[in-house]
Amino acid sequence: MKCRVCRGPAVIDLRRHNSNFCAEHFTKFCRDQVAKAISDFGMIQPTDRVLVAVSGGKDSLAVWDLLLALGYQADGLYVGLGIGEYSDSSGGYARRFAESRGLGLEVIDLPDEYGYDIPTGARAAKRAPCSACGLTKRHLFDEAAVRGRYDVLVTGHNLDDEAAVLFGNVLHWHTEYLGRQHPVLPARDGFPKKVKPLVRLGEREMAAYCIVSGIDYVVEECPMAAGNRHLGYKEALNQIELGSPGAKADFYFGFLRNAAATFAAGNAESREALGLCERCGSPSSAEVCAFCRLVERAGGAARPVALVPRRGAGGEQ
Amino acid sequence: MSVTKLLGRLHLNRESVLLVRNDTLVPGDAMLDDVDVVEIRPVISGGVS
Repeated sequence: MKCRVCRGPAVIDLRRHNSNFCAEHFTKFCRDQVAKAISDFGMIQPTDRVLVAVSGGKDSLAVWDLLLALGYQADGLYVGLGIGEYSDSSGGYARRFAESRGLGLEVIDLPDEYGYDIPTGARAAKRAPCSACGLTKRHLFDEAAVRGRYDVLVTGHNLDDEAAVLFGNVLHWHTEYLGRQHPVLPARDGFPKKVKPLVRLGEREMAAYCIVSGIDYVVEECPMAAGNRHLGYKEALNQIELGSPGAKADFYFGFLRNAAATFAAGNAESREALGLCERCGSPSSAEVCAFCRLVERAGGAARPVALVPRRGAGGEQ
Repeated sequence: MSVTKLLGRLHLNRESVLLVRNDTLVPGDAMLDDVDVVEIRPVISGGVS
């Protein structure tokens, strides 16, 4: 198997692209895909200050590395979720990545700073662990991006993540969520601009990028995520991809081209006006935001944030 | 035996794993020796956020 570009020995075969690459040209391929996503969707401007939400996993460390390689100024944010040894381990990978490259990394420790951890919060709020985790991370990422006056918040969601979320939303016809599923969410109502530069790259490609780039990441799966529906959707889509290479990309990008605008328009019509959470000051359609309600049930304590929403249209993200 | 054949025997979806030998990625058509020590690394991760 030879590299499509240089005809040297290939290290990876990408059936979706009918291509094989050596390490050097696979790295270039990944950079080109990220650059194209950024350009196609207007994700990041050259002078933007970028905050990358980092988990210690392959996707977030890879996207941070790729943005730096493309010349962007990007700091990191890691949230310690209090998920036992898994959080200790993943935090170590994030710190070592930042230290070895001299990068800025803000660390927020949920148990220390908010008085609860994800397992406790999920039980207390009667939420699935991934739901409590997602709610917590979205709030803390938004807060940090606005407080730090970053122009854009980057997450490491890849093509497989987005295709799996789309699959679940279509399966259950969650039309409101379909209206929000886009690789760019513009800044509005006190929320930061959020982008997903890895949407053109799959999960296998991101793991391969880390291996060929020497990026050490936490390989173990989060113990709280085991058996969740999202992973089941990914497995189902990979089974389809096995027999029909390119199916995941066709599904996701076909949705963006043909249907996303229709669902987004429906959301715009029904958007609630936003006020301020009376406890933390973040944008919220309720008197007390969902994050503060979670914190209260978990026995923790929220703290005021620096979010200043504009009055007007919009719902919680 | 090729990487693809090994993954088939183990009933592993090649979209869901990578094969690493001596810290180097190994593509699907590469032949493995009986004495090779390889890592089959899962690539699927994540909850919903």
